[in-house]
Amino acid sequence: MSQLEAEPDVHTVASDALAHLDALYAFACHLARDQALAEDLVQETFARCLVGGRQFTAGTNLKAWLFRILRNVFIDLRRREGRSPIRAVSDVPDASEEQVRTLEQLRGDVEIDRLRRLVAEDIQAALHALCDDQREVVLLDLEDFSEQEIAEVMGCAAGTVKSRLARAREALRARLWEYAR
Amino acid sequence: MTAMDCSKARSLLPDAQRGRLSQQPNLELRAHLDTCRACARLDAEERTLSDLLRSRLARPQASPAFRARLAARLAVPNDQPKPAPKRSGWLRKHQVSVPLALAGALAATFLLWSRATPVGMNNPVLREAVNDHLRVLYAAHPIEIENGGLHQVKPWFTGRLDFAPDLAFSGDDEFPLLGGAVGYFIDRKAASFVFKRRLHTISLFVFRAEGLPWPREPQRPMAHVQAQVGSVNGFSFVLWRTRDLGHALVSDASTDSLLQLGSKLVVAR
Repeated sequence: MSQLEAEPDVHTVASDALAHLDALYAFACHLARDQALAEDLVQETFARCLVGGRQFTAGTNLKAWLFRILRNVFIDLRRREGRSPIRAVSDVPDASEEQVRTLEQLRGDVEIDRLRRLVAEDIQAALHALCDDQREVVLLDLEDFSEQEIAEVMGCAAGTVKSRLARAREALRARLWEYAR
Repeated sequence: MTAMDCSKARSLLPDAQRGRLSQQPNLELRAHLDTCRACARLDAEERTLSDLLRSRLARPQASPAFRARLAARLAVPNDQPKPAPKRSGWLRKHQVSVPLALAGALAATFLLWSRATPVGMNNPVLREAVNDHLRVLYAAHPIEIENGGLHQVKPWFTGRLDFAPDLAFSGDDEFPLLGGAVGYFIDRKAASFVFKRRLHTISLFVFRAEGLPWPREPQRPMAHVQAQVGSVNGFSFVLWRTRDLGHALVSDASTDSLLQLGSKLVVAR
């Protein structure tokens, strides 16, 4: 690998980063739940990307690197607001394993069809009812990041991602079943 | 072979549904799901949840105005004042360092940004095609079904799409077909196929074209169809429609290579 590849040009990184603008913006919208605020988050993300572009390691996942910056910008925002950055409590309680199993046995194909008829507003409301870290892991999984990449974005262990994602999706399903009744 | 228990099966479901499970555990999981109603139900629910999130969750796109504003901010040299933002945003309220940060880093970005937002990228179809190609490049597992011939790839899409992708070219030595996957193109499901051309990855997206704002790039003949050919952000593209289906080839390979592949695709139909 050449030295140029080892230390990327900041302008090249920025140019490549622009291709991820829509993905970053969508992530920011769901984190902030406000489009104007989402624009600010993305704008600051690009600013940090340009200032710190040389820290990006060529050959690694640029998209994951950008998402990590955006998440850090969001956490900074939470701290400035005096709120715990990512530990807001979800209002959806975790179901016990036994409860989940019982519910599953009761549900037939017809009921799953009810889930399929949920509208976009229901899905968004259920997602936004999750606490920040659960919402983040669901959104990052939707971006097709691997567990390892999500771990790097969120600054945690890959095993934590696995359990956090499982709990987040369980909470989502519980919420959606309520809407589907 | 020891029968898999429910706890193990449930721990493997996420990887299985994302195509990340190797063959043997996948077979054992399938065997368990065939006999365990509760785990099969959970599998169905999880798949339904993924489908709902991918198909119905709003995925807001950056507005052209925001894109332009961002580009303009980045392009303004250090010694020129920027117009005040119209609204009182968080950045201004908290005096986050965007102008200062950008001023130092971006004396030479005017050309970069003017190059990065070409007219073509304002068209949603082109923008989506290029972004989807980037997703293919960056995805850890862009292929859900490996190519074992069209008799294997095409039936795999049955039940996963609301149309039949009209692919009849299974690749050759020049353009080997690696496989396919189901994705989304703007607001609808799409079949995506991945071809190679030497070291270049080529994405083919097939989707229902109805209601999409087709770009106005000049048309060129490609076998017996007219195709729109060009390049944006360093990626070549070839777009064409047959009946109600739209097709987009995107790659960093040359447009000539894409036209060659496109000709093979339309002739084989």
